[in-house]
Formats: sequence, structure tokens, C-alpha cells
Amino acid sequence: MPKKPLEGLRVADFSWYGAGPIAGNTLSQFGAEVVRVESETRPDGLRRVHPFAMNPDGTFKSGYNVSGYFNNFNTGKLSLQLNLNVPKGQEVAYRLIEKCDIFLTNFTPRVIDKWNLRYEQISARNPRIIAAYAPMQGLTGPHRDFLGFGAVLTPVTGISHMSGFPNRPPIGVGTNYPDYVINPGHTVTAILAALRYRNRTGKGQLIELPQLESVVNTLGTAVLEYLVNGENPSRMGNRSLNYSPHGAFRCADDPESVGSVDRWVVIACRDDREWAAAAAALGHPEAATDPKFATFDARKANEDELEALIGSWVRDRKAEDVAAALQAAGVPAGVVQNAQDLLERDPHMRARGYYQYVEHPEAGREAHDGPAFRLSATPGSVPGPAPLLGEHTMDVCERIIGLSMDEVADLLAEGVLV
Amino acid sequence: MPDRALDGIRVVEFADETAAYCGRLLADLGAEVIKVEPPGGGRLRHARPFVKGHEGDPNASLAFWVHNTSKKSVVLDLETDEGRALARRLALTADIVLEDNPVGFLAERGLGYETLRAEKPTIVYTSVTGFGQDGPHAGWAYSDIVGQAMGGIMTLAGEPADPPNMIYGRQADISASIQAAQGTLMALLHAEATGEGQLVDVSAQEALSMAQETAMQTWDFQKRNRVRTGELGMLPIPLPATGVAKCTDGYVSLYILAPAGKDLPALVDWMREKGLQGPLDDEPYRTIVNQLNMAWLTQLMSNPAAAADVLPHIPVITKTILDFFATMSAREAYEEGQQRQLLIGIVSTPKDIAENTQLRARDWFVRIESPLGGTVEFPGPPYRLSETPAVIARPPRLGEHTDAILAQLR
Repeated sequence: MPKKPLEGLRVADFSWYGAGPIAGNTLSQFGAEVVRVESETRPDGLRRVHPFAMNPDGTFKSGYNVSGYFNNFNTGKLSLQLNLNVPKGQEVAYRLIEKCDIFLTNFTPRVIDKWNLRYEQISARNPRIIAAYAPMQGLTGPHRDFLGFGAVLTPVTGISHMSGFPNRPPIGVGTNYPDYVINPGHTVTAILAALRYRNRTGKGQLIELPQLESVVNTLGTAVLEYLVNGENPSRMGNRSLNYSPHGAFRCADDPESVGSVDRWVVIACRDDREWAAAAAALGHPEAATDPKFATFDARKANEDELEALIGSWVRDRKAEDVAAALQAAGVPAGVVQNAQDLLERDPHMRARGYYQYVEHPEAGREAHDGPAFRLSATPGSVPGPAPLLGEHTMDVCERIIGLSMDEVADLLAEGVLV
Repeated sequence: MPDRALDGIRVVEFADETAAYCGRLLADLGAEVIKVEPPGGGRLRHARPFVKGHEGDPNASLAFWVHNTSKKSVVLDLETDEGRALARRLALTADIVLEDNPVGFLAERGLGYETLRAEKPTIVYTSVTGFGQDGPHAGWAYSDIVGQAMGGIMTLAGEPADPPNMIYGRQADISASIQAAQGTLMALLHAEATGEGQLVDVSAQEALSMAQETAMQTWDFQKRNRVRTGELGMLPIPLPATGVAKCTDGYVSLYILAPAGKDLPALVDWMREKGLQGPLDDEPYRTIVNQLNMAWLTQLMSNPAAAADVLPHIPVITKTILDFFATMSAREAYEEGQQRQLLIGIVSTPKDIAENTQLRARDWFVRIESPLGGTVEFPGPPYRLSETPAVIARPPRLGEHTDAILAQLR
């Protein structure tokens, strides 16, 4: 096995739900030892929500350890049960942080204050710590204690206003979208930059990743339209300011697609050449020279008609066939895939082996998102299943923190390790 | 100047739409990022929206600006022998090569990973493409919406009666770039520790896969596909105080039944203070208001039939709540609601973002030079590092640094 690039680094992961744990998950997949600090008195909400693994008789498994939502974001981590509401629990937290390189949390500043985990408090115990705080809106400011999660950020950051069809209210994008790539990815980027600085200087530092700022940064074009041009842009469905046609077109239903038989192909023509190639590939080369569609400006002026026309060409065809025909002509196109496609039917995903399967002691065999970037010399991988709640409490206390068995017994008896 | 995390690192970037944001993240963190552009510039240089009055000017695309801050620009024509030779010499001065061209494009021009690493084994070479460097679709044409479709997030967004929705902001490109930044920095740390460079391969389709939320695991465990459900998200049925509410001047999104905030009775307290609680203090609504919380919801998702007693009364509760929000501004609903620990998000327009109380109070926006002269206000960085802050400097004009950089090569 090649060495993983983050081997030898240890992470104190005081986060929960999506954005924080996924950052820890990435570090774990690339070799860091990640200690997830949890409490049964207030478990990570994702441990208690669907999708749950199933029993052979078709009933759902139950308990804290069988949610695929939680398990996918916590692969290979160690779980330490710790009550942070009592001073002795906070002392255990400090002693853990002393043994770690990276501290990670996405709790609000109100909770960080309550647990005495502010940067000046933890860096006093470990000046080399790289401490990443990823609260919703920042550690300071009038909205610092505003509550939220990905689905709340979606409207607040402008994603909801800018996405979807103009004739619909701003309904959002169906998921807690910013939790999964933008915020954990920016967090890890900052942590890795701070690691390089520490390698060169020996100094740790405070990283603040206000999720609001992190997400708005990715919508910079729309914000600049206001800041520079004084325009206040709005959503335009699947259309593009630059490319036409650009959208999703309904194809023939696919009865084998469980629960979502409607099938759609997306097409993006970035210039007249791609449009001509698309029209020819779909059997209608004459459309490319029709004055109504021959140029970008003409296509934009007649976009409703253009989309209806393309829709009529593909409505009775198999989406995969349409995408393949367009791709053969060099036109960006693809099927609107669902999870069944991605896990089982997309030959490309399968060939690249993106999803990795591990055996979980309670949930059984589970699929996991593998690393989303491939390092040829030091590849990451799913290091193992997510921990059971408190599975590694003894191990972390004794091996990592260095507590004696008597000390651990006392902490257990006093209700600190719960 | 503060210390810079990526001080001393040179990146040579052959990137347009998909990897430019990765280059920007590295540049703002202190790397010297030299963007090699074709004569006339790539697609983003010509992408709308432009600065008003400068339509078509390759130095005036706002879409280009936001993904190309703090970089230098060198124009080289890779279709000529001279351009390729110079590009190769330049690339060999880099610690990191970053590119998003179709698979094989740079290799055919003597700029592929194998060629460069033969001469410089420490080099980190990051390729960001629609589908990655291998596999049956590696050669497929890609644009952002294709990544969003094939990566599984469009199928989850939108009303069931509409086509699946794309998410604004070229999110497949953004996601690929963010994954690439992490991989590039890991590879850089490894190269600095061991002298071993490597190839970082990012597929936009894979980059987004995690954003399917629970759809992947739902299929894996339960052999069900999650589908687009409008504003319901993962909820099995419409519930009060979840979803969009129209205010006097805009919208807010309500998530009051979700975990982390106060439950429905706290909202009814607020409504009562304004005399707008309607029938919600009366039975059967009073009991239902007290019952609708996360624990009940989780039960409901395992057993939708459990909602049968409650369902007939939900429309009245929902209407009373929507009528309440219709009496106030979106900002009041958001700020007052959040003060009460109710999970409410304002549906911000770009103007609202520019005027956001929190962003302004924290001085998030920065003022930088405009490539057209003068200064402009600009969105700030995604993170704040206390010792090595990200610093945003203006995007380069097309070819602005060609002479200076090529002079270094002579």
C-alpha cells in the first residue's frame, strides 16, 4: 500500500452534521487519524435520520449506528464519547487537543463559548494547533449566533434566488447543497495551507470559515453584477447567458429507473459549431442554418421555440442514446442521472471505481463516496466504516490521551465519558 | 504584507472555466499563479456578464474576474512550435501545473504530465476535467451543466412538473476546482516532504457526487431513488413552517421543524404577540403545534401512515403561518425570527448580499483595483487565516505579464 499523504497527522473533530464532519472525512481518507468527539446526551442528528440500513425482512434497522447519512461522512474515524458540559470533560478535550495537529468544529460560537473551546483557550494548551472553526456566519458580528445548516444557507447566500425557473418561487435546490462540497472543501483547503505554513515556521493558526462567506464567494459573478453594474440579476432556469441551447430536455421514460421514470438529457452548445454538430447528430441539420437559430443572438431571441424544437426531436428517444450521439459529435451532453445510475448503471463511474464498499458492523455492507480527487502516488481511500457511537472511547483515552485505566474508570463513573 | 501560506510556490495554469477557481484559491493564498492564455483569451474572457459599457472586452468579464484574482497572464499560442516550446520551458519552472483541457490536449503539445515529470520529478500536475483522465467517458465533451446532470444533483432539484434544475454559479466547475485545490495542496505537501511529485486527477462528475446528499445511500440501502420534490427536500409531505414564505418585499425560507432551532410553539408565541395566531391556540391545532417536531418527523418518515390524523389539519396551520409572514418584510422575518432561534433564512438577492448586515459588519467585501482602471468592491475570500490570510488582488489583463515572464525564460 502506498503511503497516504496525511499519515502522522491527528485531528480532533468536534463537528457535527454535514459540513464539519465531511472535512474530517477527507482528512481521514488521506491518512490522518481523526477523533470524532460525540456525546450520547446530544448525538449528531445525522445518526438519527434516514436513510437507515435495512434488515433482511424489509424493516429498517434502528439505533445510532445505521444511518447511511452519518456513516458516509465519518469513514475510518474514532469515536470518543465526551460530555463537554462539565469541566472535567473540557479538560479531557484539552488533553486530546494537546495530542492533535488539527482542531475542527462547525458549532456556533455560542456553543464554543459554553464548552470553553475558543481559539485562545485551546492554543494556550497547544500553540501548534491548526484550529478550524466553521460556524454559519462567523465568530463575530451581529448575526454570529444565527442558526442554520446547508438548506438555510441556500436562500441566505443567494443560491435559491439565482437557481430554478423564473416562474417559480425560490424553492432552493432540494438538498443542503453547500454542506457537501463547498464548505468542507474550503475548510480542508485552508487547513492544508496552514499545514504548509506550520511546516515552514512551526506556527499554528486560527482558521475561520464562516459558511456564509464561503458560499457567497462561489456566487461572485452575481454579486459583482450588483457591486459593479448596479444590476440585481435573477434566476433563469437552465439557460445560460453565454451558451444556447443550454438546458434539460425530456426523453423517453425509463421504466427501469426506480421511482423516477422520467428521463432527461442536458445539452450545452458553446458556439455555432457545436450547435450545428448537435442539430446534425439529432438528424436535423437544416435547423442549424435556419435564420431563427443560426447565430447565438438568434437562438437567444427564439429560445422558447428552439427548446420546443429540440424537445420534439428527443422526446421519444432513449436519453443515453441521445447523449451518446451528441458526444460522438463533440457536443457537451449527458443524462440527468439518479443514484441508481451513479451506483449501478453508469459504466464510467464503475470503471473508475469511485464508490467504495466497506462492511459496517451494524449497517452491513455500505457504499461510500470515495476520494473526490485522485493522487497518483499517494491515493486516498475509504479507510474503514464509520465508528459506532463511543466505540473508541477507551482507546482514545488510553492510547492517545494517555489516561490511566483508573483515571478512565473514574471519568466513566462520574459521567464524563458519555 | 502578511505572511503567505503558499509563499515561493509557482503555479503555471492552462485553465479556462473548470479549473480557474482552483488557481484563484492558490493565488489568493500567496502562490504565484501564471495563467497561460491563448491569443484572444479563452471562453471565460468572453463570458457575460461584462462591466456595463465594456461588452465583449476580454478584460471586462465579471465571470472571468471572480475566478482569476491575484494571477498573472501570459499569452502563448500552443498551436505554434514557438508557443509550445515557451510554454514547456515555463511549465518546467513551476511547482504545480494546473489544467482543465480535454484529455490528451496538452500531451499532444508536449505539455503532458509524463513529459514534464520526466524532466522534473517533483512536479505536481493537476488535471481537472469533466470525467477524469481514464474510463469510457474520459474523452466526453464537458460543460458545467453536464457535470451537474451526470453527477446526480440536478435530479434532486426543482419541481416535479418542471425539468430538473441546474444550480446557479457553475457549481460543477466550482466543485471540481475546490476538490482540485485540496488534492493539489496534499500533493504539494507530499512533494515538499519527499521530493516526489504526482498527478492529481479530478473529475467534475465525481467532484459533485457527495452533493447528492442521501440519494446514494438511499439507493444503496433501500433501492429507492430520491427525486426532485420542489421545496420539500427530504420531507415526505408538506408541513407547516417548512418551505418558502412570501413577505411584503421578498421571500424567506422556513425550516422550523428541522433540528437545531426552536420548535413551532416558539413561532406561535411570536404570532400571538402580534395578535396573528389565528386558531392555533385552539384544538385540535394546539396539540398538533406541540407535536410537530423532529422526533415526530423521523417517526413519520419510517411510517407515513402515522400522519393520517394530523394531515387534514395541516392546511389551516400552514395558511395561518404564511399569512403571518405576509405581514412583514423578508429582512424582519429573518432577523427577528433568528433572534428567537427560529430557523429562518432570507432569500437574498445579489443586492441583499451586498447589503447583508453581517457581511458588512465583518468588513467582508474588499476593494481592489479594476483591470479597467479605478477600483471596484469585490466579494471577499471564503476563509480567514489568522497568520496567512487570503489576499485578493486584481485579475490580470489579457497578456499583461507576457513580456516580463518570457524575459525570465531567456
